Amino acid sequence: MSTNIIVAGVGGQGSILASHIIAEAAIKASGKTNDTLNVRVGETFGAAMRGGAVASHVRIGDVYGPLVGKGQADMVLALEPLEGFRIGVEYLAKDGVAILNTEPLHPVDVKTGAVDYVAMEEVETGLKQLGKGVVTINATKLALEAGNAKTLSVVMLGAATGSGLLPYSEETMIEAIKERVPQKTIEVNLKAFELGKKAFLDAWTE
Amino acid sequence: MSSAILKKPGKKILLMGNEAIARGAVEAGIQLMAAYPGTPSSEICEALIDAAPDSDYYVEWSTNEKIAFELAHGASQVGARSMVAMKNAGLNVAMDTFMTVPYGGVKGGMVVVVADDPDAHYSSNEQDTRFAAMYAEIPCLEPMDQQEAREMAQEAFGMSEQLELPIFLRTVSRISHASGDVTLGPVKAGRNKIAFNKHYKLPYRWNVYGAPGALYKHKWLHDILPKAKEVANNSKFNQMKLVDGSKVGVLASGLAASYTKEALERLELTDKVNFLKLGMIYPLPDKKIGKLMADIDTLIIVEEGDPVVENQVRSLAKEIAPGIKIYGKSYNAILNPYGEINSDLVTGAIADALKIELPQDDMEGTRDQLRAKVTPRSSTLCAGCSHLGSYSALREALKKFQGTHIVNGDIGCYEQGGYGLFSANVQGNDEDGKKYSIRSPYEILDTIYVMGSGISMAQGQAQVGYKDGKVVAVAGDSTLIQGTLPAVVNAVYSNADITFLVLDNRWTCMTGHQPNPNTGINSMGQANEVFDIEGVTKSMGIKFVKTVDAYNRADAAEVLEKALAFEGPSIVILKGECQLQVQRRTKRTTTETWVDKELCNGCKNCVQLGCAAITYDTKAKKAGIDKINCADCTLCSQVCKQNAIKMGGGE
Repeated sequence: MSTNIIVAGVGGQGSILASHIIAEAAIKASGKTNDTLNVRVGETFGAAMRGGAVASHVRIGDVYGPLVGKGQADMVLALEPLEGFRIGVEYLAKDGVAILNTEPLHPVDVKTGAVDYVAMEEVETGLKQLGKGVVTINATKLALEAGNAKTLSVVMLGAATGSGLLPYSEETMIEAIKERVPQKTIEVNLKAFELGKKAFLDAWTE
Repeated sequence: MSSAILKKPGKKILLMGNEAIARGAVEAGIQLMAAYPGTPSSEICEALIDAAPDSDYYVEWSTNEKIAFELAHGASQVGARSMVAMKNAGLNVAMDTFMTVPYGGVKGGMVVVVADDPDAHYSSNEQDTRFAAMYAEIPCLEPMDQQEAREMAQEAFGMSEQLELPIFLRTVSRISHASGDVTLGPVKAGRNKIAFNKHYKLPYRWNVYGAPGALYKHKWLHDILPKAKEVANNSKFNQMKLVDGSKVGVLASGLAASYTKEALERLELTDKVNFLKLGMIYPLPDKKIGKLMADIDTLIIVEEGDPVVENQVRSLAKEIAPGIKIYGKSYNAILNPYGEINSDLVTGAIADALKIELPQDDMEGTRDQLRAKVTPRSSTLCAGCSHLGSYSALREALKKFQGTHIVNGDIGCYEQGGYGLFSANVQGNDEDGKKYSIRSPYEILDTIYVMGSGISMAQGQAQVGYKDGKVVAVAGDSTLIQGTLPAVVNAVYSNADITFLVLDNRWTCMTGHQPNPNTGINSMGQANEVFDIEGVTKSMGIKFVKTVDAYNRADAAEVLEKALAFEGPSIVILKGECQLQVQRRTKRTTTETWVDKELCNGCKNCVQLGCAAITYDTKAKKAGIDKINCADCTLCSQVCKQNAIKMGGGE
């Protein structure tokens, strides 16, 4: 048994932090139950430059390698919609769910007018063809509502937890978040988490 | 202590492969760590620097890999446990010493970590450095995951002292830059004694020419190799599981063993085939492999990179089991000797060899249709990067001279000057855009190879009589110090007619903002003197050396024009600190820059700057500013002929 998640986004958004929190929570969970959950995070980041596409593969359970196989992602958690589309197209499983922040960050190719940014409807209908469901939330707005734009990744963790697809409890996730975010920002991050979770549940039952 | 690599033994934590290697070194009682940054290896030294205030070892960023290697060996000569880490290409820099040190070997345990990069994610090539371990004839370890990376790093020091040889620890991007659960081991209490013995167990031990000479010391190395082979045959890193009656053997090394385990599970073959997982791949554990080959007719070899294990196994099989059909990357190829492998590819390869039919991916057609709709996201220099100013000024200066100019690139963030944009050409509607071949900073570089190569290649072009245009080379401050200083002297000595731009942004940025001699702080973050690039290159004999502000485009272009006109070697140092570092320090949150849409005529001069914070509305034909990314560097307002880009005052 394994759970495969890919966190996608743009360099500087916090997708690597989000993937590490998901993985660290899994290690906590395995410590509590004595299950031998293996955890792997496969990161694609290189240069320190801002603005590049970042995808972080998180694998939990009976796993060895750091990369999710093609068409095998149970969840694509996207901090930016185009990056969710890019990753979803390759990796989303038939019973997988894509959770997308709707706020785009335009690549330089779009900013220069060389190409158009893919329409949100195309992203949604495209990913629906591949997976079980697509949930869209404006996580950027929710992060600002929580009180800090930098809580975007935690809003998305709230949504991921709301989906019930993570193989451990909400309490374990919250514990991992508290350990990883700056101590002064715990309160705002917990608010961001709740907003993300609620947004997922609202969108899911619609 | 906050460092993850200093947490208590027995604890299970998430560690990046590089941190796991650093932890292994801490557990073994490391006394010296040296490295030059290189992705994907840099975090090994970074983690040890972070943990250094609470530890008792010496750690430094050296000025290049060869120097780092020599420090580590010097430490070993006097008995200390040392580690040196580098990326694949970094080993090429250290190669001279690397090849000779095994003639007489080491005293204190010495571990050479080399991070290969299959798929060339972060590198100029995909070289498989396991060949180099064989070339130098030293033991080679290859971890399958982060846990094993820690264990191997820890054990390698003892193995090195036992065999009196440096141990080669080969990791790959997907080990070094991936993270996994790692259970921490105990930390060695004592430290090796520091002492020097000129004739330690061998006459003139640390002098390869000393009697009985280099040939004898090569023989000494060969006398050790059988012992190393025994270590490999008994190593816990080489694990075998035999299945009664199975005629199929699968042999996988390093990370490939992880992929292979998953592939065997997917194919429901785990309990049906013999499996040998190799972690020590040189010398080859011949007895263990002999046992595997005793009763099989088919052998599948899976490894990341070149057929390094495969070639060794084929030569062994020819002697002891010639009838076995072997699948791998050379003959009966089921995998490519280039690119990176993964569980999908290994599953397909094993199915291929065993003629198992795999279910087709019925979504492939849909995926393919959707792929065409995914907007490209080109990698770019950061918004407000000083290299944008340098390249813009260079472009301006080159316009003053006729012909086809050659701009030789080098390795650093500025190498993106040769990447191009994925979405093809920037099409400006102005004459400027049409007239000049260099339209954006992402097309300005004509050659890029390896660290320090640009300035020497420029000299070759110039010396052979290239006169169709100017010959230019660029390099960053860290690259200048790492690998171009002899080439600067060479240009003086031969009076080469080239212009060399030093793009000085103070830090070694591309690998994660490590400090270097030009930063003003040492490896541990303490203030020290800044390397004087202008003074040093002047004293080397360069007659034209000028320093300019990379953010003052007109000044920079004027100085560059003079440098280009100068006969003989000239140097222009373009100074502009990395904007990410500036922003981290100043914590600036607001942006002053804005575009007056009334004045903007859509000429795209600003777009051609290539800044990630400049937007362009194709319908309205107006430029704009991405307020989140803009660093207020003023470069775009300097290139705007309409004075439409303004600082302050609001929209």
